[in-house]
Order: sequence, then structure tokens, then C-alpha cells
Amino acid sequence: MEIVEKFIQYANKKAQEEPEKGWDRMLMGFKANCFRTRFLPKKGIAAGYQKLENMMMRLVADSLSHKDSYVWGNIFAPCEIMHAFGMNSLSIECLACFLTGYHLEDYFIDFAQDLGVAPTLCSYHKTFVGAVTSGVVPAPSYAVTTSLSCDGNLNTFRFLQKKKGVGFTLLDVPYKDDEAAVGYLAGQLEEMVQKMEKVLGKPFDMGKLRQELETENETRKELKKLYQLLQVHYYPGEVVSQLYLMMGVHLLMGKQEFLELIQFMNKEIEGNPVFEGKKILWVHLIPFYQETLQHYFNSSRDYQVLASDIVLDCDEELDVERPYEALAEKLLRNVFNGSYKQKTKRVLELMELYRPDAVIHFNHWGCKQASGGSILLKEEMKKRDVPMLILDGDGIDKRNSHDGQIKTRLEAFLEMLE
Amino acid sequence: MIGYICKYTPVEILEAFGEKLERIQPEVTSFEQADAMMHPNICSFVKGVLEEALSGKYEGIVLTTCCDSVRRLYDVLKEKKPEMFLYILDVPRITGGAGRKLYEQRILEFIKAYEDFSGKKFSEEKLKEVLEKKKGTAEPMLSLKKDRLNIGILGARANPNIAKILEEHQVSVAFDLTCTGLQRRFETGKEVVSDYVHGLLRQFPCMRMKAAANREKLMEEYADSVDGIVYHTVQFCDNYSYEYAWLKEILKKPMLLLETDNTSQSYGQILTRMEAFLESLAPAEKAEKKVTGGKAMYVLGIDSGSTSTNAVIMDEKREIKAFAVVRTGAKSGESAQKVLELVLEKAGLKREDLAKIVSTGYGRVSIPFADENVTEISCHGKGAHYFNPKIRTILDIGGQDSKAIRLDENGEVVDFVMNDKCAAGTGRFLEAIARTLEIDISEVGPEALKSKEEIEITSMCTVFAESEVISLIANNKEKADIANGICRAIANKSYSLLKRVGLIPDYMMTGGVAKNPGVVRAVEDKLKAKLYICPEPEIVGAAGAAIYALEHC
Repeated sequence: MEIVEKFIQYANKKAQEEPEKGWDRMLMGFKANCFRTRFLPKKGIAAGYQKLENMMMRLVADSLSHKDSYVWGNIFAPCEIMHAFGMNSLSIECLACFLTGYHLEDYFIDFAQDLGVAPTLCSYHKTFVGAVTSGVVPAPSYAVTTSLSCDGNLNTFRFLQKKKGVGFTLLDVPYKDDEAAVGYLAGQLEEMVQKMEKVLGKPFDMGKLRQELETENETRKELKKLYQLLQVHYYPGEVVSQLYLMMGVHLLMGKQEFLELIQFMNKEIEGNPVFEGKKILWVHLIPFYQETLQHYFNSSRDYQVLASDIVLDCDEELDVERPYEALAEKLLRNVFNGSYKQKTKRVLELMELYRPDAVIHFNHWGCKQASGGSILLKEEMKKRDVPMLILDGDGIDKRNSHDGQIKTRLEAFLEMLE
Repeated sequence: MIGYICKYTPVEILEAFGEKLERIQPEVTSFEQADAMMHPNICSFVKGVLEEALSGKYEGIVLTTCCDSVRRLYDVLKEKKPEMFLYILDVPRITGGAGRKLYEQRILEFIKAYEDFSGKKFSEEKLKEVLEKKKGTAEPMLSLKKDRLNIGILGARANPNIAKILEEHQVSVAFDLTCTGLQRRFETGKEVVSDYVHGLLRQFPCMRMKAAANREKLMEEYADSVDGIVYHTVQFCDNYSYEYAWLKEILKKPMLLLETDNTSQSYGQILTRMEAFLESLAPAEKAEKKVTGGKAMYVLGIDSGSTSTNAVIMDEKREIKAFAVVRTGAKSGESAQKVLELVLEKAGLKREDLAKIVSTGYGRVSIPFADENVTEISCHGKGAHYFNPKIRTILDIGGQDSKAIRLDENGEVVDFVMNDKCAAGTGRFLEAIARTLEIDISEVGPEALKSKEEIEITSMCTVFAESEVISLIANNKEKADIANGICRAIANKSYSLLKRVGLIPDYMMTGGVAKNPGVVRAVEDKLKAKLYICPEPEIVGAAGAAIYALEHC
């Protein structure tokens, strides 16, 4: 492990001193990690979660190695459309997380803040803005973002368009879900496809999109099954596994290999012993690096993160015959869109389905749409006598997330559940 | 009374219903209720609106889906004020074609909802009347005045104090392109509602709209004609900071980044930053020195800071006759009186021997015996230039704020940045940590110099850093190493400020924290350059004020 740490330090230093060369080293590291996650499995972690990690690692390493194979996106950018172009969608949230592997988040965040970007902005966005403007992370030909679920999306991509010339489409997701909104958004999706055909010089395959949506419907059914099984069986993972699952659901959705992965997980879990500990419903992002969370949740027989609203943020059966409308409806009915009531309703549905023992809501630094409603959710849980803990921290920037404070709160909460 | 906040609100439709409207412009003393119902890290404007809405002043509030914080404001108000007419209008980000069609439908739904609520009937004729009436009152968007400084305001909805302060300083507001500065005038056509919606969406776009290209073009054009720009942002609203970062790069005009938080207490902070900015745009004319007929002339500079109040008496040859430093108590006026007596005693002078007194620092307006007051930024510039004319960049770390100031070769302020409303990296931060380490603040620096192990203090927030230090103590880490970690954390924060004004040597450090050898070493390591520190770093501001007094005698 010492060699790995040394390499990380070397790439970190190089990225700060000679961004382009540093990036080459980082890419080399990502590729090496693909190898590691495939051939050197971790002990005590379910094979399904390890396959998922490898799949995400490959998505990032393979895409970044070929400039024309991906576009930048946010996690809600419809990856199905990118797949129908034979491309991948790399979300800024995902890339920001991967960059933390080189402990570069502080450097990138400070870099963005020094430019004048607000320190109170979401750290995922700051990391990404810093990574690109510092010259470390190269730009692809195009980007796609949505106004869902936060204000940062449009402004981050607009800023990067100015700084690096990366053209982008903003999909404006209306607040209200009705026929007019579906038409408005479906029209934008269609326009986006036409624009991408021109910019990328690649043909769009409608048949492939329909196929993607079919696979997606199948995958969603398997995902639901996975969570039903998680209710009963022990399925050891890491804190970061939940994040990988969130990324997979948003970036690999529609791909056959992702469907097969979830099917594999379902098969694997069925043979596992019954889980007898406490089940947690996690709301919003998860700070994967936090030592206390790792201590309590990694491969734990006592606590299992059962479901997360950010993985199960959509419950739509997509109409394959009306692909644009279907994707528009998927975005409009996403748990993060519209009034907070939509979110509360979804969390209650998840509780009804999976019967967790408690809810933990993580307020990620800078995420106004999540933290602004967290008290409302807590009040709703109180009415139903469901214990809920609100943790304040940062999904990426350790400087905004003090482990000592999280530890005290989490331990007290877990003691309360006993 | 119906309250609204966003310029895309169909104000004129409600007026056509005969309703009275008010744009909510909160100025609150605390966010007590909002912090409990939402979260402290929500946009402070929105928290202010929540406080105002809960006060019962408005019978109804019309919001738009303008940002994440407002979306949540709607959710919270819906829960807490069920009796109120509360409506959220979904404003599309696309202003042409499909966007216009969708917004028209949303406006018609809104009209229907208001008819149902009020029992009144909407009339297109009335709307036309309202619109026609407004057309006549329009003033030009850009207005330049001769013989005055002309300042433009950009960014997020401007706090009314900005224009007020400018007017009080005889500075003209040449334009205000923030949401609150725009006038409402819309063309009326055959399709009254449809044309009105079109007009609403065609207003000067804000940062949430997709097409912001026109926005930039106009800003660049207007910026050309003014002396400087105040770029306003609201605390915890991040959208405008991107634009500031971009404009800073492309506009050649001096620009002040001003963050406000809609509390009445923030007025002092706004004032200091704006006055310093105005002083840097139009350095006061240096008055001819009066001939004193051989008799010595003395002036006093007094710097009322949050931690210490410092005074310097200077003679007409710019020599320091005496100086004094006292701790600022609860009332800055009393500390000023104390330091005045002390410095006069040290100089062997009487009050009437002083030809002019100039005050500076946070408490500068509360010193009754001062003839004039100047911001500490200009005074630090003058003071630094006085002690060492080679200085181009100053790092001043005082009790409650830290700032980086860039000077030209004449000692005039060219640019400056101050820390936000956060004690991290200031003297207060050091005090808090010293308390936790159970050592005197004066020992933190010498202790840090004894450090052998490198400890990283990662937390930026004073409260977080304090608990991080407690954890380190619990882990039996050495005091010296923790102290050094803290000094390096301050140096990192300071370096960030220095970078924002450009890293131009020679460097000087002023303020009480310059007496801390641990911080000095850490900043020097970061800068890879020496810091010039004068023997009494706390009196640089007061010395600058004294020079100002001499120049204006």
C-alpha cells in the first residue's frame, strides 16, 4: 500500500506543478485501479459491490482515455441519449469524487475560490471547476446539464464554456409536472439530439435509445428486487458502495452490463445469511471518506444502509414508444424536482417498502435544495415516530466536515436506536 | 399587502386586480426562526424573507422558482403559514419560443388561482391601463454625472444600503443592473397578456436564465463608461460569484466584490469596504502643507479596532512623537478616550496642541473627538508606505478580520480583499485556539516555533478547528505541533487572500497577529519571501491616519 500512497503523492505534486503531465499520471493511476479492482478483491465486501466499483472505475478510466468517447454531464443528464450516440456521460459529481483519490480536492477547491467562485458553493462543483480551470482535467467536445437538481449546474457549465470553450446544452426541467411541461422538456431533448449530431459529427441511433429504455425498465425492476432482498439479507459493502450505486444508476443506466450486474447482485445476496442489525435509510449524498461512517457501516453486521433516495430517485416505467417524452417524465418526476413534498412522499414510500429502523439525512455543504428542506423531513418523521438524524458536513471537502462532530452525533443516534 | 421578490413576478397583473404590492427587502437583526426552520447555510436573503413573512406583514406572497433556496422557502412557508395566499410561479429558463409559451400558460393558471382566492375577476383592460401608466415613468438605465465619481452596481439584488452609501458620499449611481435596480416597463400590444409575458421574459436576464449573452454585452458596454463597479453578492447565494470571477478577468475597471447578508448589523462592514473602494478610486487631493511659523504642529491618528485601539501622534516632519495601544473594551468610544489621554501623556502634549485628529478602524465613526474618519484600508496603505516605501502588498490580520491590500509605488491602494464574515484566520481565531490549548495568546507563536511534527489542521471554521484541536489534544499531540498547525492554517487562508490581489513583493504584515512569530514564519514559508514587519505592527493603521491628518491640515 505504501507504493500506492507514494504514487498518489507523486501524481498530486505533479498535477499542481505541471498540470498536463500530472493528468497523464493520474490517468495511469485510474487504469491501474481498474486492474486492482478486477484482480485484487477486497476482503469482506460482497462481490457485487466490487464488480460495481470496477465498472465505475472502467467507465471513468476508459472514457477519459478517449476524448471523443464522452461528454461532461451532471448526474441527471440523460445518459441514455449519450449511449445512443455511442458515448458515455461523465458527471461532474462523479469526476470530483474520483479526483479525491489523489487528495487534490483541497487544491482544486482553493483554486476555484481564488478565481472568485463562492466558498459557499457545493464542493463537487468547486472541485470540478478548479480541476478544469487549473489545467489538470482536459475538456471534451461537449457537455449536457440539467437545471435539476441545483442552481450550480447552469452556472458551472456556463463558466467552463467561457474558460475552456466547451459548448453545452442546458435542459430546463420545469418545476411543475404536467402535459405542457412534458412537451417543453421533450422538445428540448429532441433539439439537443439534433445539436449533438452536428457538434459531435456522430449519428444518433433511435433504435439504440429504445433499447436503452427497455433495458432501463428491466434494470429498475431488478433494483427494486435488490432493495427488497437487502431488507432481509446481509450484504456487506462500504460507505462508498452507496455512492458507486448512485453513480451507476445515473451514468450506466440502460447498459446491458449494468443490468447484468444488478442481476448478479440479486443472485449473490439471496445466498447470504439473514441480516439482524439495524437498517438505515440514507437521505441525500454520503461523505464516503468520513472515518466514523466507515467504522460503523463498512462490512457491518450491526448496521446496513438499506436504501438511499439518491439511488431510488425515480420510479418511472419508461414508455419505449415515446422516448423523449419518457425521459422528460423521468426528469420531471424525479424526487429532487418540484416541491419538497415530492421528496417527502418518496421517502415515505421507501419507508413503506423497505421498513428501515431509522433515517439519516446528510446535509452536504452548499446544497441548498437538500438542507433547506431537511427540517421539514424531520418534522414529518417525528409525526410517524421514526428516528431521524441530520448530519451536517461535506461530501468532498474534509475541511467542512469534522469527524469528531459527526462521531458524537452518530454514536448518540445509534445508541438511541438500541 | 402582497409581497414578492423576483422581477419575473407578474406584478402588474396583481395590480390590475387592484392589489397593493411590495417587493420584500428584508433587513433583520437575526435569522433565529429561519435558521431553525430551514438551515443556517441557506441564502441569507431568503432567510430574511422568511423572517419578514412570519412577522405577519403580508397577506400573500408570490414567489418564483428562481433558485433552490426560494424553492425551499415556498415549502417551509406552505407548512408554516397555511392561511396565506402563497403561490410559486414556475419561470422557465428559456426566454424565447417554448419558454414563452410555457410561461404564458403558467401566468394564466396564476390568474385563475388568484380569481379563486380573491373572488375578483381579472380584466385585460385594467392590465393595459396599469402597463400604460408605468411606461411614462421610465428613466434611462445609464445616467452619468459630470464632476462626480460614477459607479455601476452589478450582481445579485442590490442591498439598498449600497446606493444610500454612494449617495451619502456624493457618488453617482450610474447604473444598477441588479434585479432590484431595473425598471418595469413593458410594451402593450393586441395580445395583452401574451405580449406582457413576452416582455416579462425579455427583461435584462439574471444568472438563472439560460440566455445570459445579452447580459454580458450590456454589462461590458456600461462598465466602460464608469469609474468603478460594485459587484454585489448575497451570502450563501453562489450564482453570481461565477460572473464576478469572469468579469474580474475581462473588465478593466476597478471592481469591488461586496457580500451582504441582509442583517442590519452588516452596515458597518459594507460601509468600510465601500469607503475604502471610493478612497482608492479618488485618492483625496493632498493639501498644501501649511506653514506653521516655526512652531511644531502635531496631529493624531487613532485606529479603533475590534481588539485594540491604537494612537499615533506625528509632527509636521512626519516623525512619530508618541504612540499608545490599549485594549478595546465594550465601548469603542471609551477606549478611544483612554488611548487619547495616554498618548498625550506620553507625548507630553495637551489636547489643544493637536491640529487635527483622524480616526480609522471599525469604531472610527464612534470617536466623537475625531475631525475626520478614513477607512483602515487606506490608512494601512499610507502607514505601510510610510514605514517602508518598497511595500506593494500588505497582509493585515486584526482581531476580527484579515485583509490583503495592494499598493502602487506612491502608496495608493490599488486593490484589496477582506475575509468574509467568518473569524477563521483572524486574531479571534487565535484567541479561541489559545484558550483551548490553555496558553496565553502571546505564547502561541513561540510555542509553534518549537514544533517537531507537522500537523494539518484542516477545518476552516473556528468552531470546527476548535473541536479538531480538542481531538488532537485527546490524542496526546504536542502543544507546539498543534500551535504550529494553527499558524499554518492561518497562513493558508492568508495566502489565498494575498493571491487574490496578486502576489507582488515586497510584502509587509501588519496588525496584532504580525507579532506572532509562528504565523509570520508560516506565511513566509507559503510566500517563499520575507515579510517586512515594523517594530510596532499594531500602529500602522494609526500612523496612516496621522499622515492623512497631516495631508489635510
